[in-house]
Amino acid sequence: MKLCFVTVGATASFESLLQSVFNETFLSALKQHGYTHLLVQYGKDGQAICENFTKKNPEGSVARHGIGITGLDFNQAGLGAEMRLAQANAELDQEGGMIISHAGSGTILEAMRLGIPLVVVPNPSLKDNHQKELANELQKQGYVIASNVNEVSEAVSEAEALRSHMLRWPPVRGRNQRQPTLEQVMSDELGFVD
Amino acid sequence: MASWPLTSTNLLCTVVVLVIVAVLTIVLFLFNGLSIPQNTKVPKCRPKHSPIHLLVVLGSGGHTAEMFSMLRRMQLNTSRYSYRTYVVSSGDDFSAAKAIEFEKSLQGEEDVPFPQGVSLPGAPPPLLGGPPPLMDGPPPLMNGPPPLMGGSPPLMGGPPPLMGAPPLQAATPQGVPSQDSPYTIVTIPRARRVHQSFFTAPHSTLQCFWACIRVLCGRYPDQKPLPLSYSPYPDLILTNGPATAVCVIMAAKFLRLFRRYAMKEKKQGNKPTVQDIRLRTIFVESWARVTTLSLSGKLLLPFVDRFLVQWPALEGKAAWWSMRKTEYAGALVD
Repeated sequence: MKLCFVTVGATASFESLLQSVFNETFLSALKQHGYTHLLVQYGKDGQAICENFTKKNPEGSVARHGIGITGLDFNQAGLGAEMRLAQANAELDQEGGMIISHAGSGTILEAMRLGIPLVVVPNPSLKDNHQKELANELQKQGYVIASNVNEVSEAVSEAEALRSHMLRWPPVRGRNQRQPTLEQVMSDELGFVD
Repeated sequence: MASWPLTSTNLLCTVVVLVIVAVLTIVLFLFNGLSIPQNTKVPKCRPKHSPIHLLVVLGSGGHTAEMFSMLRRMQLNTSRYSYRTYVVSSGDDFSAAKAIEFEKSLQGEEDVPFPQGVSLPGAPPPLLGGPPPLMDGPPPLMNGPPPLMGGSPPLMGGPPPLMGAPPLQAATPQGVPSQDSPYTIVTIPRARRVHQSFFTAPHSTLQCFWACIRVLCGRYPDQKPLPLSYSPYPDLILTNGPATAVCVIMAAKFLRLFRRYAMKEKKQGNKPTVQDIRLRTIFVESWARVTTLSLSGKLLLPFVDRFLVQWPALEGKAAWWSMRKTEYAGALVD
């Protein structure tokens, strides 16, 4: 099994990402890179888009490109279990997959911690968009792929390329790093005698 | 007859002069209160190994997750920070549940015997043994219940505030995990609820501020008494910028200013004591902020003792010239 997990988060709806994921071009890109399953966390408003697609293209139809599609609205206990389905695991017969995510920092951190190639798609409809800067910065440092709603199909191959040289999170602190740790700052403020 | 007739011009002049004097006084007071303590070093007078009371301000989903991510990564030393108070805003079950989860993980690692333990065997929402909070209100999270809004403004010295709305008050999660556990969770009213009109916001902000003052003095209604070895005033306040943090930090600053001016008259020139290094504040800007500070960050920059940022572009910002700058600490989350 090789799985692509798409998550839009719990708070805001993100229909434009869902539109480009439930889409023949995207599924064919997945097929091209050996994917077998697509799991989509579509949030509170996304169910219609998911059902619309699966009804229009029942199992076995050409548009699905042989990819198994599953949807869920949200998991209150967190999405860790869903993410781990995209992690390479020989015992469970899982090949390393990928995650496509809205730019929520919790999701980004979790995917990076698990070492799964991640495509970050900032939600353009959110005001005060500092998410885009975060995605770009992380891409520059080699942790994720920053993309947008119109380019998720292209991002599949970029994510596959990232797999081989992805950096591990969290970054290791160099021994002579000059920045203080949180522990140092906290104990400074407490004024212990030397 | 009257050499100084009460004309409207004279009245206006008097008012203008009074206002200018008042503004100048406030500016000087603030400058003295804010800038000087920000730039003076912490006196080293706390005995080694003295137990520390740490207060952590939690907030909505993202902030809380990041806070625990940081505490995990730094491997919070529970023999130093031996008592923890978590502040959550009303209606935020997620943060309270996360705090309990984190404390459980500390307990697991350390094997500290937990006499009665937290009576929560894995059940997610019902917090702290009390009845599931806010169950009868419609949407549990965001809109929060109106419980703490009903009463008359609980200001300065009146009867214990927040008593005006008994039915729901009883249902708010009580911050008492167990009498002997080394932490507590305190739920305070929100400064401004989502969709609350700005007209009533000043009132609820004051309420929140007053609740914070009481929490910092260890005298909030749902706060259990601290073990005797601790001062009720937290030694250190750590936050990463949810809206509640603004109230908590301002309250801490207020208490310290108050103390500073009260102390000055009593004993001048005395050596600093541990009493003087309580309620220290550390603000960590969210990891998600790469090039701009968050709103609470901007608001609190002049007031906190240390302001850490996790991306280099935010390093070296200061509220005014001569005030303490933000410090780049690298990524602190795990």
